[in-house]
Amino acid sequence: MLRTLARRALQALVVLIGVVLLIFVMLRIVPGNPIETMMGEHANAETIARMTKEMGLDQPLLTQFFRYIGSAFRGDFGTSYSLGKPVAQLIGNAFVNTLLLAVFAAVFAWIFGITCGIISAVKKNRLTDRIFMGVSLLGISLPVFMSAMFLQYIFAFKLHWLPISGTDSWTGFILPAIALGWNSAGQVAQITRTTLLETLQEDYIDTARAKGRGPTGVLLRHALRNAMLPVLTMMTIQFSGLLSGAVITETVFSINGVGRLMVQAISGRDIPLLQATALLATTVVILGNLLADSLYSVLDPRIRKEG
Amino acid sequence: MLRKKREQLEQAADIRLQSQIGEEERFWFLMRRMARENKTAVISFIFIVLMILAAILAPVLTVYEENDMDLMNRLSAPGGAHLLGTDEGGRDVLTRLLYGARVSLLIGVIPALLSLILGAVLGVIAGYRGGITDTIIMRIADVTLAFPSMLLAMVIMYALGGGLINVFLTLTLVNWASVARVVRSQTLQLKNSEFVEAARVMGVSNRKIMMRHILPNCLPTLLVLFTLNIPTSILTESSLSFLGLGVQPPNASWGLMINTGRQYLFTAPWLSFVPGIAIMLTVLAFNFLGNGLLDVLDPRQKKQ
Amino acid sequence: MKKFISLLIVLAMLLGCAAAFADDAEAGLLRTAIRYDIRTMDVARTTDDYLIPMNVFDRLFETRRGKDSLEVVKSLITDYSVSEDGLTYTFTLKDGIVFSNGSKLTASDVQYTFERLLKIADQNTEIPLEVVGGAAVMKKEADTLAGFKVTDDTHFSITLTAPNAGFPAELSAPAMSIVDKETTSAAAAFGTEPKDTIGTGPYIVTEWISGDHYTLVYNDKYWGTAPSVKKLIVKTIPDANTQNMMFLNKELDIIDLQNQDAVVIEGTYKSMPADRMVSTPKVGLTYLILNENQKYLKDVKVRKAIGMAINADEIIQGIFKGNAQREKGIIPTGVFAHSDDMKAFTYDPEGAKALLKEAGYAEGEVTFELALNTTKASESVKLVYSYISSQLKKAGITANVVSYEDSAWANKRNSGEMESFVATWGMDYNDPANIMYTFFGTAENVKMRSINYPDASIIARVSAARAIVDDAKREAEYKALDKKLIEEDAAWIPMYAELHLWCLGDRVASFTPQWAGFADFYAADVTLK
Repeated sequence: MLRTLARRALQALVVLIGVVLLIFVMLRIVPGNPIETMMGEHANAETIARMTKEMGLDQPLLTQFFRYIGSAFRGDFGTSYSLGKPVAQLIGNAFVNTLLLAVFAAVFAWIFGITCGIISAVKKNRLTDRIFMGVSLLGISLPVFMSAMFLQYIFAFKLHWLPISGTDSWTGFILPAIALGWNSAGQVAQITRTTLLETLQEDYIDTARAKGRGPTGVLLRHALRNAMLPVLTMMTIQFSGLLSGAVITETVFSINGVGRLMVQAISGRDIPLLQATALLATTVVILGNLLADSLYSVLDPRIRKEG
Repeated sequence: MLRKKREQLEQAADIRLQSQIGEEERFWFLMRRMARENKTAVISFIFIVLMILAAILAPVLTVYEENDMDLMNRLSAPGGAHLLGTDEGGRDVLTRLLYGARVSLLIGVIPALLSLILGAVLGVIAGYRGGITDTIIMRIADVTLAFPSMLLAMVIMYALGGGLINVFLTLTLVNWASVARVVRSQTLQLKNSEFVEAARVMGVSNRKIMMRHILPNCLPTLLVLFTLNIPTSILTESSLSFLGLGVQPPNASWGLMINTGRQYLFTAPWLSFVPGIAIMLTVLAFNFLGNGLLDVLDPRQKKQ
Repeated sequence: MKKFISLLIVLAMLLGCAAAFADDAEAGLLRTAIRYDIRTMDVARTTDDYLIPMNVFDRLFETRRGKDSLEVVKSLITDYSVSEDGLTYTFTLKDGIVFSNGSKLTASDVQYTFERLLKIADQNTEIPLEVVGGAAVMKKEADTLAGFKVTDDTHFSITLTAPNAGFPAELSAPAMSIVDKETTSAAAAFGTEPKDTIGTGPYIVTEWISGDHYTLVYNDKYWGTAPSVKKLIVKTIPDANTQNMMFLNKELDIIDLQNQDAVVIEGTYKSMPADRMVSTPKVGLTYLILNENQKYLKDVKVRKAIGMAINADEIIQGIFKGNAQREKGIIPTGVFAHSDDMKAFTYDPEGAKALLKEAGYAEGEVTFELALNTTKASESVKLVYSYISSQLKKAGITANVVSYEDSAWANKRNSGEMESFVATWGMDYNDPANIMYTFFGTAENVKMRSINYPDASIIARVSAARAIVDDAKREAEYKALDKKLIEEDAAWIPMYAELHLWCLGDRVASFTPQWAGFADFYAADVTLK
């Protein structure tokens, strides 16, 4: 099993290198001189030439690439063109917010999704089932910014329960986290419901029932435990989706996070910032997938044997 | 979600192989069964057909022009001459919704089709050839899948610039990898099946085997993926539009309509809600249809 | 089952607790929002982001809006005099003024400010370039300004290359914010690090979190009267609707309504008590630029036809609901040498068609790109673009609206290749040179604004007009130039000047906007209740 994990980790590393290369190339095929962009209105030729040299943009692409990797390992991601500050510092501030947002969203998705799924499975085809499944379908089919706007309007603007934007206190995270987690919650609910219904038909459940366990006991002790495996794996994979959604949620709720930095980087044609934020997001996803794979192989005995 | 579907599809392919004969007949048989058993899928299908018709017939269905502005009649409420009211430029919302359906549906269908073709071809080649070709193609797919889809779309849109064609390209590049993975694993199973073996012995060229024998067997799976990729593309484009990176005005896409409507949430809530509901229903319809197809094409789910 | 229900109840209670969050702001605090983050706090590197420079630094003069006219008043100086040839200005600094870090303000700080702009040679170099020896410093041929003489700590004189009656007004521009020589020359990151960005003004910048907010607090070493606002928090909220909700939710104390559509303003804000609404005309104007290097736009008849095909009055009534006024010339209303009798571009769609025909173009033949800056354009400006495009279509002209992100937009415009665009100019100081010279003063300027106006003799006249000392003659020349450029050459399509509106929250007693109607304002001009 250790060998499987090591192989997976190695694969992840290869993918990571590929990602860096892809981002690097993609951002450099963009027409126009990035320095001219950075200097803004009155850039003069002399300054542009000097800055190009200073930032090593006159070097061949491959040299630039290795130089970038080298300094990235030292934690130096360059200086943002559009914000004039070190990228590492900007991301440091923003990453905490995004991480908190994603964690809150995941917790919400998990609790709400599983609860919905269980209730629906228990009340199969009854009104409660329909309502809970309706709510979860709404989460899947609404664009994230619609649900964000909707929550912001109702709970912050109309009811004054929560702040409209910002992260001055933890209450500022509640609405964005729900908006962001709703989609995942919907998917978790659907899968929980399906797998629960599947497991409830398995033989050992009947055995447990025969042994005289009450319905709640059967549900919690046996069915739920077995149904958790696909849900758990899905949760880790969801991280990629959460990061996608964070771009939007952070924009709607004006949260200073990695997603919003990315939007800022794109509108400012800010290559160092975009490069670093993209790299950060993909690294998180790759690590998340690795974690999911490992969890899966640890938890699922069938896979463990194969490995 | 996707991973689970992928697994289901792989198993489905397995079972289908056991009854090679009458593949086409079998398909229509399954479709008939879906029509009988799954009402949601049928309703969804009808909804989708109606919407496509409405989008095509837009010029007949409305007396207004898509981009005709009437500054003296901005944000008038629904009812009267404008059934769904007017937008911030005094344009008829119903008209824009119908024309927007054209753009949004195209954005759903074309990238789904292109990514299907690209993913299927690369997946078959990777699975059939194996070795270094396989490794290269699948590592590239892994790299693409490592990006959160929105982020990849943003970076590509950044490199290419805005506009409809670039949206198509971007969404294709975002979606091809998952198709390639599914097709590859099916190819791996089909590669060693008897009829492929037989074709090889008869001296049929590799290209012909891939195109004539393996790909047609993947078609039901591809149909499901196609249906499920459409709502994903529509949602991604609406998010891109939200960030100002998608379709550019004055063209209307639903995502763009919601985004401009957002500024008028208190004054004219229908501006966001109408296209928002349209997106929601469309996404739901395609999802229901896709899940319906998945159910009948995957016998493992039958017992439910 | 019960467990899950109780879990839901706990969740609901958590939400309820959060509802208790307080929105009572501390005394002396003013909260406001801007749409996009500033790039820098250093006027040597920006012409856009003046909110921090205006509040953290002082200038030698300030322009204030008087009862009927604009006044240039002395700020850091007690007195000044002009030599008879109009070339040399002699100043006396107020005594005892210190920067917020305790360093004393001296004449050499002023000299350093002038030279620094030229040595950085990025933005706002126009004014110090007027000083004798300015060009040499900018080209790195000289280290000090020959025309700047420091007599002692409080006395200095400036000699210009040509007389300029508007010089004191120019010195009131945010661009001429005085910095401290010792601190600034030693600072690692002046303009990006709050602790390095030190001025003599009423506020100190203490915090700047990119993309989130920045904070200014009262400078207790400030030489003037203490302002009512003791702390200013400026949040970056890109979305106009979010700003709107925050203000209505009392999370902001002042809202800048220029980002809101006029219909929203009418629906939401017009019902506010009259004393909550503040309006000031924007001294400046919004215009359509037509690049004369473009295939069709180089034809003056096409440009005139475009001018005639656009109904600016409908833009004012329809898009701005009357919160704007018509501008027909380059020099906007309220500025010296503005003409009331410009005749150009009365709405006449039939005339426009006829003119196109006369020029030999078939219907639909004339095509050009109308470039939109999606990052910065407000909803109203986006509407103006769509409207212009649809109006021109009716006249048989195709104007394709193409969106650019901010920096791509700036790049394309500066390269002189942007085919056409709508933009707004706000006056930095009350002199026609500020707009005329910026757009038509040199061959370089004409290219950089993507106008590519070809007539070198007119460009020379615009440049020379600045040096006419006699006010009457200067006024006549500027008026003649305005007529020539607009009525004869249609080098610009002037359209309108918006009224800049703000709404004040409950905690604000009064507010005086910056004289030219900038979005940036002096926090000292706000009185809290």
